[in-house]
Amino acid sequence: MIKAEGLTKRFDDNLAVDGLTLNVERGEVFAFLGPNGAGKTTTVRLLAALIAPTDGRAWVNGYQIGEDNINVRRSVGILTEAPGLYERLDAVQNLTLFAKLCEVDDVAGQVEKYLRLLGLWERRAEPVGGFSKGMKQKLAIARALLHEPPLLFLDEPTAALDPEAARTVRDFIGEIKEAGRTIFLCTHNLDEADRLADRIGVIKQKLIQVDSPANLRHSLYGRRVVIHLASVTEPVRTAVSSLPFVEEMQQMDNALVISLDNPEEQNPILVERIVAAGGAIQFVNELRHSLEDIYFALIEEEDRETQA
Amino acid sequence: MNGAKIGAIVEKEIADARKNRMIILSMALIPTLLVAMVLGTTFVMLNVESVDEASLDEDELSMIPAELSGLNPSHALLILLNDQFMFYFLLIPMMLPVYIAAYSIIGEKETKSLEPLLATPVSTSELLVAKSLAATIPAVVLTWLSFIVLIIGGYLIMPEPVFLAMIRPVWIVSMVLLSPLLALLSVFSGVIISSRMNDPRAAQQVTGIFVVPIIALSLVVLAGKIFLSVWMVFLAATIALAVDCVVLYFAVKLFQRETILTRWT
Ligand SMILES: Nc1ncnc2c1ncn2[C@@H]1O[C@H](COP(=O)(O)OP(=O)(O)OP(=O)(O)O)[C@@H](O)[C@H]1O
Ligand SMILES: [Mg+2]
Repeated sequence: MIKAEGLTKRFDDNLAVDGLTLNVERGEVFAFLGPNGAGKTTTVRLLAALIAPTDGRAWVNGYQIGEDNINVRRSVGILTEAPGLYERLDAVQNLTLFAKLCEVDDVAGQVEKYLRLLGLWERRAEPVGGFSKGMKQKLAIARALLHEPPLLFLDEPTAALDPEAARTVRDFIGEIKEAGRTIFLCTHNLDEADRLADRIGVIKQKLIQVDSPANLRHSLYGRRVVIHLASVTEPVRTAVSSLPFVEEMQQMDNALVISLDNPEEQNPILVERIVAAGGAIQFVNELRHSLEDIYFALIEEEDRETQA
Repeated sequence: MNGAKIGAIVEKEIADARKNRMIILSMALIPTLLVAMVLGTTFVMLNVESVDEASLDEDELSMIPAELSGLNPSHALLILLNDQFMFYFLLIPMMLPVYIAAYSIIGEKETKSLEPLLATPVSTSELLVAKSLAATIPAVVLTWLSFIVLIIGGYLIMPEPVFLAMIRPVWIVSMVLLSPLLALLSVFSGVIISSRMNDPRAAQQVTGIFVVPIIALSLVVLAGKIFLSVWMVFLAATIALAVDCVVLYFAVKLFQRETILTRWT
C-alpha cells in the first residue's frame, strides 16, 4: 500500500526526513513513533502528496508521488495534526464540501453515514466552532473517511483529548482497522501504538527500527520470567544457574529474573528444579517490557550511534 | 477542471463569508457610502444652493466641455460631477476583493484548514478559479446592486438630462464590462500577495496602487479636460484585460501548494 525508497525531505538546511525506506502492507496498521521533530508529520505530508520530496521515491496505492498526485490524493484520507475545520460552518457543510471535492457519488448519504457513526448527527446544524475538542477530532476523522479511502493517515489522533474522548477515538480506529483499511498512525501514545499496531516504526529523521511490537520486545530484551519465592537460598541459585538454557539470572529481593529463549518449554523444568532445591514458589510471571522501555532504548541507542 | 468541485468551494466561501461580520460590514460600507454621496451631492446642488446660470463664474463655465454646451450649465456641471463619481464606483470592485482573495487563502492557512483542503484531489487551477470566483462574484454583484440603487435614486431626484447622462452607454459599459475586469485584477493581486505573505492586511495596501491612477483620471474628467465616451471605456477595458492576463500569469506561476503550506516567514 505504501512503498518508500530513500524518501528524503530537507527544509533549507534542516533535514526533516532522511532516506526513509519502508513498506506498509494492505490492511496493516502501522504506527509511527518518534520524538518531537522526528519527521513524522513531514513523512505523512510527503506520502499524501502535499509536499514534494527532496530525494527518493514513493508509491501509494500503486501511484507514484510527484507523478500521479491526483490519484495519490484519491487513495488517501488524512487527519492532519490540527483538525482545521471551518469553524463558522456547521458539521454538514464541512463534510459536504470535502465529499464533493473527493468525488463522492452519494454526498448526502455519506455525510449522514459518518455523522451518525461518530455520534454527531444530532449536532449537525451547529457551527463547529462551538464543538468540544473531541467532537472536532471526530468530525475531522469523518472528513477523512467520506470517500472510503483504502489508506488512512492519522497524525496524532488522540493528542489533546481527555481520556474518555481519546478512548472513543481509539475504539473507532479499531473499528476502521477491522474494516480492512490500511492505517498509518503517528502517535506519541505508546500504549495506543502497542494496542492498535501490527507493526511499529521508530523514526528520528532516519528510520531506526521497524517490527511488530512483540518482535521489538524480543529483539531488545529477549524473554524473561520472574519467579517469586518465599526466600532465595543458595541451593536454589545454584540449581537455576546450572541449567544449560538459563542465559542470565538476576536476583531482586526474593525474586529471580531469568532470561530464557523458550519459556513455554523451559519454565516447567525450571520450576521443577527450584522445588527440588527446596524453593517455595509463590508466583511465576513473564516480564513484559512496556513499549515505553523499548522506545527509549531505541532512541538512546540511536543517539549514542549518531554521537559516535 | 471540474465544475462541481469549483462550485463546492465557491459555495463554502460564500457561506463562510456570510457568517463573517467583519467582511459583511466592510463589503456593505463602501458601496452604501458611495451611493449616499452621489445622491446627496445631487440633492444638495439642486435644492440648497439652487445654482443658476447667473451665479456661475467664468471659471466654472469654462469647465463645461463642448459635448454638454447645449445644456443648462448647472445640469452640465452636475453631469461632470457624476461622471467623476463613476470612477469611484469602479473602485468598489477593486477595493473589496483584494482583501477577500488574500484572506481566503492566508486565513485558511492560519486556521489550518488549508492542509486538509490541499490533500483532496482538487487541482491547483480548480482551487485558484474557485477562490477567485468567490472573491469576484460578490464584489461585482455588489457594484451592480449599488449602481441599480443609484439609478433608482437618480430617477427619483435628478433632473432628466442629468439622469439620462448617468445611464448613457459610458456608464453602462463601464459597469458591465469594466467592473468585472477590475475586480479580477484586484483578485489576482490578492492571490499573488497570499502566495508571498502571511498577513492578509498586506493586501489592503495594494488597493492604494489601484486607487491612485483612478482618482487621477477622475480629476481630469472633473476638470472638463476629457468628456468620457464609450470608445474610451472600451480602450480602458482592453487595457484592463491585458493587465489581467499578465497578473493572472504571475498569480498562477507564484501559487504553489507546497510553498503556501510550508512557508511561515
Ligand atoms: N514548514 C517547515 N519549514 C521548515 N522546517 C520544517 C517545516 N515543517 C517541519 N520542519 C522541520 O522538520 C522537522 C520534522 O518536523 P515534523 O513536523 O515532521 O516532526 P514530527 O515528528 O511530526 O514532530 P511532532 O511530534 O512534534 O509533531 C523539524 O525539525 C521541523 O522543524
Ligand atoms: Mg507532527
